[in-house]
Amino acid sequence: MSAAAEDRPGWGLTATAFAVVAFLQLPVIVVVLAAFSTTSYLTIPPQGLTLAWFGKVLSDPTYLSAIRMSLILACGSTVISLGLGVAAAYALFRKVLPGSEAITSFLMAPLVMPAVVVGVALLQFYSMSGLRGSLIGLLLAHVVITVPYVVRSALANLSGLDLAVEEAARVLGASGFEAFRLVTLPLIAPGLVAGALFSFITSLDNVPVTIFLISASQTTLPVLIFSSVEMGIDPSVAAVSTLLILATGIVLLIAERRFGFHRFV
Amino acid sequence: MMSRRQGLLLISPLLLVLAGFFLVPVLMLLPTSVSVYEPGTGLVKGAWTLANYTQIVTDDYYREVVWRTLGLGFSVTLICLLLGYPLAYLIARGPERWRVPLILLVIFPMLLNLVVRSFGWIALLANRGLINNLLMQLGLTAAPVKLLFNFIGLFIGLTHIYLPFMVLMLVAAIRNVPRDVESAAATLGSSRAHVFMAVTLPLSAPGILAGSILVFVLTISALVTPRMLGGPTYQVMATLIYDEYMQLLDWPSGSALSFALTFMAVAIIWLSSRLTKRWAGMA
Repeated sequence: MSAAAEDRPGWGLTATAFAVVAFLQLPVIVVVLAAFSTTSYLTIPPQGLTLAWFGKVLSDPTYLSAIRMSLILACGSTVISLGLGVAAAYALFRKVLPGSEAITSFLMAPLVMPAVVVGVALLQFYSMSGLRGSLIGLLLAHVVITVPYVVRSALANLSGLDLAVEEAARVLGASGFEAFRLVTLPLIAPGLVAGALFSFITSLDNVPVTIFLISASQTTLPVLIFSSVEMGIDPSVAAVSTLLILATGIVLLIAERRFGFHRFV
Repeated sequence: MMSRRQGLLLISPLLLVLAGFFLVPVLMLLPTSVSVYEPGTGLVKGAWTLANYTQIVTDDYYREVVWRTLGLGFSVTLICLLLGYPLAYLIARGPERWRVPLILLVIFPMLLNLVVRSFGWIALLANRGLINNLLMQLGLTAAPVKLLFNFIGLFIGLTHIYLPFMVLMLVAAIRNVPRDVESAAATLGSSRAHVFMAVTLPLSAPGILAGSILVFVLTISALVTPRMLGGPTYQVMATLIYDEYMQLLDWPSGSALSFALTFMAVAIIWLSSRLTKRWAGMA
């Protein structure tokens, strides 16, 4: 079989694959369309065109404070996860610790545990220790669920690293920390972008842990949408969702242009 | 060279955070799960029981929820495999210029907020949603077909959410199959279908297994999509845990269910890793 023939897959396979891709975009398209409807209930296709729902969202203090809270949590937990995660991964990479494999499994354990279980465990723990509704409690909860992505990405990038470059820096007089900061970190930084982005999105997206821990007055955007859907839907939910879709799309395109994001997933 | 003490210094902050905010809280659920719950008053001090666990297998309602959760896990995994393989194959073996756009179209919905995607499915599947409107306009049905708050709704929504994970795992697996082996089989006279069935598919089996475990574990643990598309009445294990904690305040039952769910997830992962090892041993 020639390479050219291999590159021309059958039309049945191609059609199925494209139908599946279309299926994946379907709810996204529907949400965007619903956001422009003039009716006060959700209709697809939209009746008329209006931007009013976007105005309503962007002037609603509940939405604005939820957006702010989501961003604070996502930025905060990503920064903390990067700091703790890269340090831990570096120690594992240098193989100076006994039982590295067991430690690595422990660092990855929050990925295996169902998120709802982490949520109820922290709810009970925070209720006893008075951390419930506190920002620091929420931040640490988000670190627990985001840090495995950072550790995994850091370990993957470090494993491709030649230790000789760091040794060379040491020979030329750099201290251990300088060698890491000036040589190793810049080398793995582009690869860490994927881990950081996953961490940021995981935090921004999270409901199953957050919903157990937030106070009624201070909530995050997905939890707000989640609870407003339970009460009934109006197109402002579609409008705020459309803003999220736009933001996600832009971030993905920038990450792809700058770093070739698709190679890291 | 880095000393062991420096290594410990680097890793201990994260170990402390995970011990304090993950390990200890989860372990503290254990005593709760064997506590006695008195409706209205809360936990009874000094009384212990296994009833919270036994009711999961003896009580009809709980049993139904467990079977429903497992049933969803299996059917969503199967359909993700069936829908995901052709797409993954096209990405891995199709024209070069399609590769990146297709991967991005798979990643994009995956990165998109879960609540937003579930919300999109509500708009599609509701009684007056897009699909029912279409069916009625085409005259295929007179009354709306019930697509929400039942198995169909959860099945569609969960498939949509976990399909990208399966596709990405399969792409990696198919790309690991050496093209030389495929070409060799073709040169020896195999038809395209036969090359696929005899070479590509079996060699991508590790990826199929890994993707299936991932999708299964994620599906049985899902809370947001089942809650939004199943409503308060069509429950799975995760939504039942949510209700036990937030509505009924029955923490003992909720924590027993939490351990049952964790046990199911861990058991599946353990079983499949045994399976993979045995496989590797045979090859």
